[in-house]
Amino acid sequence: MEKSDHTSLSDLLCEEDESCLNERCFQDLGFDLGCVSDFDDEYIQILIERESIFQSDGNGFSMKSEKSWLNCARLDAITWILETRAFFGFHFRTAYLSIIYFDRFFSRRSIDDSKLWAIRLLSVACLSLAVKMEESKVPALSEYHVDEYNFEGNVIKRMELLVLNTLDWKMSSITPFAYLHYFSAKFCGELRCEELLKRAVELILAVIKQINVGEYRPSIIAAAAVLASYEYQLTEKNVEIKMNVISSWGSFEKEDIFSCYNLLRKIRSVKFNTPNSMISPNLSSSQSSSIHALENSSITSSVGTKRRLAYSDSDRFCPPHKIPHP
Amino acid sequence: MGDGRANNSNSHSNNNSSSSNKPEWLEQYDVIGKIGEGTYGLVFLAKIKSNRSKPIAIKKFKQPKDGDGVSPTAIREIMLLREISHENVVKLANVHINHADMSLYLAFDYAEHDLYEIIRHHRDKVNQSINQYTVKSLLWQLLNGLNYLHSNWIVHRDLKPSNILVMGDGEEQGVVKIADFGLARIYQAPLKPLSENGVVVTIWYRAPELLLGAKHYTSAVDMWAVGCIFAELLTLKPLFQGQEVKGTPNPFQLDQLDKIFKVLGHPTQEKWPTLVNLPHWQSDLQHIQGHKYETAGLYNVVHLSPKNPAYDLLSQMLEYDPRKRLTAAQALEHEYFRMEPLPGYNALVPPQPGEKVVNYPTRPVDSSTDIEGTISLQPSQPVSSGNSVSGGMQGPHVMQTRSMPRPMPMVGMQRMQPPARCGSASSSTTADEKERLRNGDDWIPSTEIKALLSYLT
Repeated sequence: MEKSDHTSLSDLLCEEDESCLNERCFQDLGFDLGCVSDFDDEYIQILIERESIFQSDGNGFSMKSEKSWLNCARLDAITWILETRAFFGFHFRTAYLSIIYFDRFFSRRSIDDSKLWAIRLLSVACLSLAVKMEESKVPALSEYHVDEYNFEGNVIKRMELLVLNTLDWKMSSITPFAYLHYFSAKFCGELRCEELLKRAVELILAVIKQINVGEYRPSIIAAAAVLASYEYQLTEKNVEIKMNVISSWGSFEKEDIFSCYNLLRKIRSVKFNTPNSMISPNLSSSQSSSIHALENSSITSSVGTKRRLAYSDSDRFCPPHKIPHP
Repeated sequence: MGDGRANNSNSHSNNNSSSSNKPEWLEQYDVIGKIGEGTYGLVFLAKIKSNRSKPIAIKKFKQPKDGDGVSPTAIREIMLLREISHENVVKLANVHINHADMSLYLAFDYAEHDLYEIIRHHRDKVNQSINQYTVKSLLWQLLNGLNYLHSNWIVHRDLKPSNILVMGDGEEQGVVKIADFGLARIYQAPLKPLSENGVVVTIWYRAPELLLGAKHYTSAVDMWAVGCIFAELLTLKPLFQGQEVKGTPNPFQLDQLDKIFKVLGHPTQEKWPTLVNLPHWQSDLQHIQGHKYETAGLYNVVHLSPKNPAYDLLSQMLEYDPRKRLTAAQALEHEYFRMEPLPGYNALVPPQPGEKVVNYPTRPVDSSTDIEGTISLQPSQPVSSGNSVSGGMQGPHVMQTRSMPRPMPMVGMQRMQPPARCGSASSSTTADEKERLRNGDDWIPSTEIKALLSYLT
């Protein structure tokens, strides 16, 4: 994918500025706008098959764990990654990939509670590695700006090596962005794809703050994001009908998509302030549509069996942006 | 060769020969000497102390510029090598990190020969063509490895004789190994200009669509290169020996196209419909389209009758339209491989007794360059592109197109088997991975994170 003239798209999550999203952004997602061909069918089928290979070896730590400081730190890391992505104009998938690294790292290692700065260093290393994997223009390490710390290049490099080693050098991973265009064309046909895709991107970037990337397969997240970006609400039956488009999906995947879909619907209700009977009262429209409202919201759900991050009151003083120096 | 050594060994005397200063990972090897150097770094020949019959090539990555962290090239190459495993692809035995200077070392099974040296030997030393059995076996194995890579969506992008290794004496004698995976990616690879990072890639094997400015790599670019290599095995001369235009980034290589057109004729829109969309075809009307070519005819150049199956196979690999070009899978099915002599496992030794066996020279080893002397060095001497173990680093790239051949039933993305012979673990199975996570492992010292963290506090 050529990205040379890629402008810095503002971070959709933070600014919700829709004007900046133009066609380039969709090319960004891995496809040219246009018809879905047989090649795409085959390609997507193979991608889905391959997911299980990458997904198999433990994709993240459990966010159910009592380590609320880690959840906080993770949120902080993601916020930093998304802001930095916007600043440099990296692909969305690059940011997503770095969060995959981050979660996988914690599924294999731990960092002591008090070492929040180490988490910040880890986010820099994960993003820098993802950039080296995905982007054709790679900034020098010194260009990554971290508010409170001044990490030397060698320190970041050491952390990069630690991440590479911890992940066993398996740095290749599929992200939901690889599927978006395909699914939107398949599920939504002649509908206005651009609007829909844009919302789907926002939803994906929002949902990774709430669930570990390993909880749903990338294709599931992508499919659910496209469906949840629809204007109207789909019943489980509708979702299932749409799912039949992908022949390899069985009942397990359909269930997963529906549970992910419901989660995304909720996020969307909060984010776009659309009245929705399914949202709980404390997420009413009185809260701003900014992402911070979302971060601090208590989103719980009885639908679906997947774990999800429920912010308890005690997490509320999780600083939205900055981690104080230890 | 060797000119960087003098200042190295002197200025780093504390690293010299004193075994107590030797990094731990290096203790398992006896390093014999330097066998190659290139834009990527240096390559050393070594033996594992515990198994001296097994030579290893240790490739030291050139340290990237300070402040860039681990080089993208290294990340991609290692990532790719750890995910692929095939008889005709070079095998990564181990990855070592030298913690003192954070340099990276890759340990490969050593291959004594490569097609560049084999061709050169026939052309300059014995002055006779390579026998039919060997040509066919080399080509078949090359296609077999390439079919595996393409099935895994990996486009090599830089196939050339020096990157096609052939195993020397031993169990795997005469087995082809595709090497050099410098810019490997698995999915949706960003396209880098070929000349990026100052890496020079030879243009002789470059497909016409790339020369005409196509932005997307497909597996067909590798098949073009295989066609060129096939012809070179037959004639001992590069098929299209264009003069390279230097400059950045990625200048238009008119002379290379000219060399191709002189042999294959001018491409036409009827035969290659998407030709008109290629940037250089549009922008360079005068030079490319204006010129009239008197076609020499491929069969004249390679001295094959047009009725010869070898010619048929070659001409289908050198099809202008990448969509019509033969795929590796199709090539393997070609009649040429079903005729006598049939291709064999040991490409260097024909199965029929009485056939003359050519003794190819072994790689020269520069034993005056000590690996230890290079270990804590910063990148220094600019290095020429070498033809030894693993040529330039401008390696494979993942396909942009989705028109790939169907994957093989057992796709190589499964875990590699753990290396049986090497002490410290590099690859892993799920079971041993879990074990390592539990116990801390020897590859990543479990104290490393503590050390890192304490270093930072």
